[in-house]
Amino acid sequence: MDFSFTPEQDMLRDSLGKLLAQTYSFDQRQALLKSGAARSEPVWQALGEMGLLALPFAESDGGLGGQPSDLVACGLVMGRHLVAEPWLASVLLGGKALALGGARAQPLLADVIAGNAQVALAHEERHGIGPVTAMGTTLTLNGDAVQLDGEKKLVLGGAEANALIVSARAGDKLALVRVDPSAPGVAVTGYSMIDGRRAATVRFEHVIIPAAQVMRDDAEAALDAVIENALLTLSAEAVGAMGALLEMTGSYAATRKQFGVPIGSFQAMAHRLADMKIAWAKAQALLLYTTALIEAGQASPRDVALLKAQMGRLGRAVGESAVQVHGGIGMTDELAVGHYLKRLLAIEAMLGSTDYHLRRVGAR
Amino acid sequence: MDISFGPELESFRAEVAAFLDCAPTPDIREAGRKTTSVFAPFESVMAWQKILHAKGWVAPGWPAQYGGTGWSVEQRYIFAEEYFKRDLPPLLPNGLQMVGPLLIDLGSEEQKAKYLPGILSGEDYWTQGYSEPNAGSDLAALSCAAVADGDDYIINGQKIWTTLAHKANRMFMLVRTSTEGKKQQGITFLLLDRTDYPGMEIRPIIGLDGIPEQCEVFFDNVRVPQTARVGAENDGWSVAKALLRHERGGSAGSPAMYRKLELIRVTAQGTPSPFGGMVADDPVFQRDIGELEADIASHAAFEKLVISGHPLSHDPAMPSMNKVMSSELAQRVSVLMTRVAGTEALPLQLEALNIGSNVAALGQELELVAMPYYLNSRATTIYAGTNEVQRDLIARTLPAA
Ligand SMILES: Cc1cc2nc3c(=O)[nH]c(=O)nc-3n(C[C@H](O)[C@H](O)[C@H](O)COP(=O)(O)OP(=O)(O)OC[C@H]3O[C@@H](n4cnc5c(N)ncnc54)[C@H](O)[C@@H]3O)c2cc1C
Repeated sequence: MDFSFTPEQDMLRDSLGKLLAQTYSFDQRQALLKSGAARSEPVWQALGEMGLLALPFAESDGGLGGQPSDLVACGLVMGRHLVAEPWLASVLLGGKALALGGARAQPLLADVIAGNAQVALAHEERHGIGPVTAMGTTLTLNGDAVQLDGEKKLVLGGAEANALIVSARAGDKLALVRVDPSAPGVAVTGYSMIDGRRAATVRFEHVIIPAAQVMRDDAEAALDAVIENALLTLSAEAVGAMGALLEMTGSYAATRKQFGVPIGSFQAMAHRLADMKIAWAKAQALLLYTTALIEAGQASPRDVALLKAQMGRLGRAVGESAVQVHGGIGMTDELAVGHYLKRLLAIEAMLGSTDYHLRRVGAR
Repeated sequence: MDISFGPELESFRAEVAAFLDCAPTPDIREAGRKTTSVFAPFESVMAWQKILHAKGWVAPGWPAQYGGTGWSVEQRYIFAEEYFKRDLPPLLPNGLQMVGPLLIDLGSEEQKAKYLPGILSGEDYWTQGYSEPNAGSDLAALSCAAVADGDDYIINGQKIWTTLAHKANRMFMLVRTSTEGKKQQGITFLLLDRTDYPGMEIRPIIGLDGIPEQCEVFFDNVRVPQTARVGAENDGWSVAKALLRHERGGSAGSPAMYRKLELIRVTAQGTPSPFGGMVADDPVFQRDIGELEADIASHAAFEKLVISGHPLSHDPAMPSMNKVMSSELAQRVSVLMTRVAGTEALPLQLEALNIGSNVAALGQELELVAMPYYLNSRATTIYAGTNEVQRDLIARTLPAA
């Protein structure tokens, strides 16, 4: 057993860390989000040059054939820097779902990998994610074509996407269709999330789609694999964010003085910091262990559910404690602490909440 | 022991309900539904205070001779229940629950005559200038200084976290008037008639929810009359301690919590669960909201005992116990809210939260307020003395300490 990164992965982490330290400091990030831009063109381009946009795709699709552990190596760094670029949205979710179309994914997939186009996966609904039977969006036959109806929530990068990959219930199966966001009957409402990412609500009303755009008519297992990859990367982001919070909060407690002593010397604070460290260690351990399981092809859906649930619980606990230790200053928009908390809350809620995943684990 | 729920109380309830059904304007109702911190949207809630004042119902907790309602404990609870049932914005606490009761206790007759009417009517809003960058939990370390000069004081220094200073027209504050002896002994309590004295500068601070609520206040040779003082010079610490009892204890916060619980239930009835059916039918949700309701019920009973003058109200730990209970319950309510709202709590919707913006929320109303309410509730265990400090104070009332 070995849970360390390879030298190549260490190099990747290192260069990504350097890039983000230069181009994505907290102040630069905040200025970017304030500008209303959905992504930073120079950063997006640089991520492309480092190969990150190609990383998770098979070589036969024009990608680099990256392993789950490569994604985790990058996700940790992304989380530490609170990256709001559409990497998760367009590469890990949209792009990977697009790639399920095989040869038909081209030439759009090549554009996604080149950073010239974005795609989004429209999968979550009001109840989050769940079994096909719970899905409200439907795909039905309409003459030679098919008809799409329903509403998708939290479509990451949905308003910026050149194409939407939409999951829908077709009979008792899960189908995937590719939809042009400007097609008649498609209504996209974009917004910024509390953690700086962009998302959209997308409504489909009697959207008529050529049958050739149905990518797959029985895609549940394939889509689960895409989501598993995204959840793993998201979990790495959570651990990266927790690590950053732990460091920040630890050094704040060492320097902030009240009653003539550092606040970290009060037992209530020291124990809180100790609990934060334990939470971070648990999260990191489970992340790396689950990564190894996935890489070995040994992970069950329960393992992934368990990981997501723990990231939600531990991330929230670390974020809330970080604010409490900082006191008043932790409640301000100026400090990164609150932005990490918001990122962790968003991670907790998306792609199945903690409640959802815990119940899957508990029900067996 | 006696709880009277006689028929005269039911007619009181009907009277309250009739008034609250028609007196608030649509703007005030909207502000109530969009209240996401302990501080309701300023302009709307001050307009509402004026209406309540005209009715004579603005200060149920005050002695009748100073403008209180003279209601019984039961009546006060009924009023609060009917109030929050309608999602009306809670009146801002600084005047009515802090400086007002303090002046009734410790102010000079002149000060009472000068300030109480404006506090009641909502003509004046008072901001609290205690905390400083280096004096938070260790408030007595404050260094913003006032030096006597003729009949005046000249103030130099800085305050921070001064809630709504950018909206207030008056300020009560603590200043250092002596550096001799124990640090608590050189503090003086002042009432500022203005927040725009020459040399005063106010800079708002943006909070986690993206909205400015707290402020920094800078004093550069600000001259105020010495008549602004409450109590003696260098005796401000005991004045502040008297005020803290009002700030932390003797509240009726549970009706608002019950109301939020009800809103969560109603929203859960219309929110689909990934396990089929609605979230409200989910046994896990039912168990969790049941647990929260049980804790709110304990807190409600505690509040009633305190208001009724039960010996518990004289327990030296009462204000701190009340503060810990109410703050942590508010946080738990806010967490359950975000759980029910789920991913619908994630869009940033600053415009839709603005009163009168006419920007529709993306989802239901609870989903709009859940996240800002959750974020602002993180502050409840920090302000008015952090919960770590409160637990120390509670522990000190036990023999082991
Ligand atoms: C939303 C909000 C509104 C506020 N409104 C006002 C206002 O209107 N007017 C005003 O004057 N102030 C206001 N405050 C300030 C508030 O009173 C202070 O934030 C509070 O006293 C804590 O001080 P601090 O922020 O400096 O934190 P610190 O005192 O630096 O505390 C940091 C951490 O150290 C812990 N700590 C400190 N001392 C001890 C100890 N002895 N034992 C154990 N742990 C300890 C604290 O519990 C906290 O977790 C407000 C604050 C907030 C967040």
